[in-house]
Amino acid sequence: MAIHKIFFASLLICLLFQISHGATKERLFSDLEKGALEVTATPSREGVLDAGIDKLSITWKLSSTATKEAEFTTIKVKLCYAPVSQVDRPWRKTENELFKDKSCPHKIITRPYDKSPQSFEYTLERDIPTGTYFVRAYAVDAKGHEVAFGQSTDEAKSTKLFSVQAISGRHKSLDIASVCFSVFSVLALLVFFVNEKRKAKIEQSK
Amino acid sequence: MGDPSGEPGSSMHGVTGREQTFAFSVASPMVPTDTTAKFDLPVDTEHKAKVFKLFSFANPHMRTFHLSWISFSTCFVSTFAAAPLVPIIRENLNLTKQDIGNAGVASVSGSIFSRLVMGAVCDLLGPRYGCAFLVMLSAPTVFSMSFVADAGGFITVRFMIGFCLATFVSCQYWMSTMFNSQIIGLVNGTAAGWGNMGGGITQLLMPVVYEIIRRCGATAFTAWRLAFFVPGWLHIIMGILVLTLGQDLPDGNRSTLEKKGEVAKDKFGKIMWYAVTNYRTWIFVLLYGYSMGVELSTDNVIAEYFFDRFHLKLHTAGIIAASFGMANFFARPAGGYASDLAATYFGMRGRLWALWIIQTAGGLFCVWLGRANTLVTAVVAMILFSMGAQAACGATFAIVPFVSRRALGIISGLTGAGGNFGSGLTQLIFFSTSKFSTEQGLTWMGVMIVACTLPVTLIHFPQWGSMFLPPSNDPVKGTEEHYYGSEWNEQEKQKNLHQGSLRFAENSKSEGGRRVRSAATPPENTPNNV
Repeated sequence: MAIHKIFFASLLICLLFQISHGATKERLFSDLEKGALEVTATPSREGVLDAGIDKLSITWKLSSTATKEAEFTTIKVKLCYAPVSQVDRPWRKTENELFKDKSCPHKIITRPYDKSPQSFEYTLERDIPTGTYFVRAYAVDAKGHEVAFGQSTDEAKSTKLFSVQAISGRHKSLDIASVCFSVFSVLALLVFFVNEKRKAKIEQSK
Repeated sequence: MGDPSGEPGSSMHGVTGREQTFAFSVASPMVPTDTTAKFDLPVDTEHKAKVFKLFSFANPHMRTFHLSWISFSTCFVSTFAAAPLVPIIRENLNLTKQDIGNAGVASVSGSIFSRLVMGAVCDLLGPRYGCAFLVMLSAPTVFSMSFVADAGGFITVRFMIGFCLATFVSCQYWMSTMFNSQIIGLVNGTAAGWGNMGGGITQLLMPVVYEIIRRCGATAFTAWRLAFFVPGWLHIIMGILVLTLGQDLPDGNRSTLEKKGEVAKDKFGKIMWYAVTNYRTWIFVLLYGYSMGVELSTDNVIAEYFFDRFHLKLHTAGIIAASFGMANFFARPAGGYASDLAATYFGMRGRLWALWIIQTAGGLFCVWLGRANTLVTAVVAMILFSMGAQAACGATFAIVPFVSRRALGIISGLTGAGGNFGSGLTQLIFFSTSKFSTEQGLTWMGVMIVACTLPVTLIHFPQWGSMFLPPSNDPVKGTEEHYYGSEWNEQEKQKNLHQGSLRFAENSKSEGGRRVRSAATPPENTPNNV
């Protein structure tokens, strides 16, 4: 019985920790200052970009309308999904609570805040999925909390979007190995089967 | 197997293995030992083992047990190997929620048919070749994951891999050739439970393999494809082990055709008729769809669920998801044991209540899982849900052998198929659409479990009663002999074809509960040598 009491008590304590921990994570996207940074993202070429090969030329600078500039410590630049790439894919959903939001999972670069205009040449990573994207830059304060942002598209996320085609992940060597092992499996089976049948026939005829 | 004559459904005799109570060994006066045979374990006159020695690998009996359950487990590993890697695969192949759900449905649908065919295959080629053929011929389907480029390919490959779940049949069939029917219960229940564990092992194995391959330098979208080579090689290794180390019968690999012709064959049509017209069959098909079925569905969705909902790393989600499937190690046998315990006090009525309570509890914990908002509550709810569902599987097959003696094989096969069908249906309704989030899907699945378990109340045995009704007082219709004898018509009874059913009826009187057991205890009845 003592074991049960200890188990139940530790479970209760864990639960309480979780509940109290959860209460502090309520920072909302809608509280952030919009358009504090002017961000542009220019693809290196026309058409659908190839992951792992093509580049984005990204620039960001302080907007004239920004008010919270004093708090900016770091700038986090991220690649975000456009609404069309979020349809039927709940793991990419946009949520107002910042810690729950999953629409900007791909990190591009993080730099300390600088008053002068910044730029970065970003080569699309090989694990970027196929989809339509835009770029967003979050301004983060000294505590690590986002305070403002700017993005390369408009508020409705409908203009200046660009498309990326992912790598397939397939390789010729992989395909060949796959075929070889498959053939080996079938052949090994047939060899065993035929062999045993032959041995059984020899034994029976004795 | 119990009937080497190959009557239809005979390949499934001993599959459920609940014909007698659980026991680790059979006492000698009950089943005579063949003292001339030189085996590691005491054997009966057919050279089937009378003792279940878990940690032995002795040829042939225990070796067969281990080869058998490991091959079955390997097939579970490969069928559900995609599930914990879905967060990576969905980005590579640009899948939508519908595609993922449809792939999950496909993975459990193939074996509905392959399990029905496997019985015949085992009758023709023997269980050793049945197992080896299936395992080695499905290895190419696992390797072909490296070719998949879109949703259609993914769904097709998962469908093809799913065929190998028919090793359940070869596993149980093979064990019935090696173990005496008095202990086949524990043996088969353990093998089935440990095989199902593969669905948990894979949730742990695949993310770890993926992580290792990534650290060796591969990109994410190549690493997951390479990871599938591991279950593929397991298929080949197990197939070769089964062929080289295994044997069909305790005495060797002799063809069973030699023994045919000793017992008159039963007619498939008649057996099918008795299976299909017994309403209890269909209730169990439904019930198993909501114990085994939801277990399979959860194997498919749980890792992705924890990954997305609680922002965990892939292998952390895998560890949690694995504990769902791993609970099978003890939960399924425990369910059978609970049923036995209830039966010693209350007979069949106890078994029915035990099943209803366990399965409904599982459903309620599933609802709780869907509504859990923190990681700790979700994990606790999931573990309780897993124990409920898996124990319910064990408790189901504790009752199925009593539904019919003549059509046992087909009813067991139909029940098993019902499990897969329930899984496909559940995944289709709740996890393939954007109408429900996954947590809502889990909640509604729990509600459906509770609702679909209610039909247990309708199962009534005239000789033993049901959950709410006592047994019939009719001196003729309220007997076990009448129930099991009613599966034979007058002509068949005149030819004495129903003797097996009558013997079974006599042995099943213990299901009447305590009052019956204390009244008369014929010495040859229950083997209580645990």
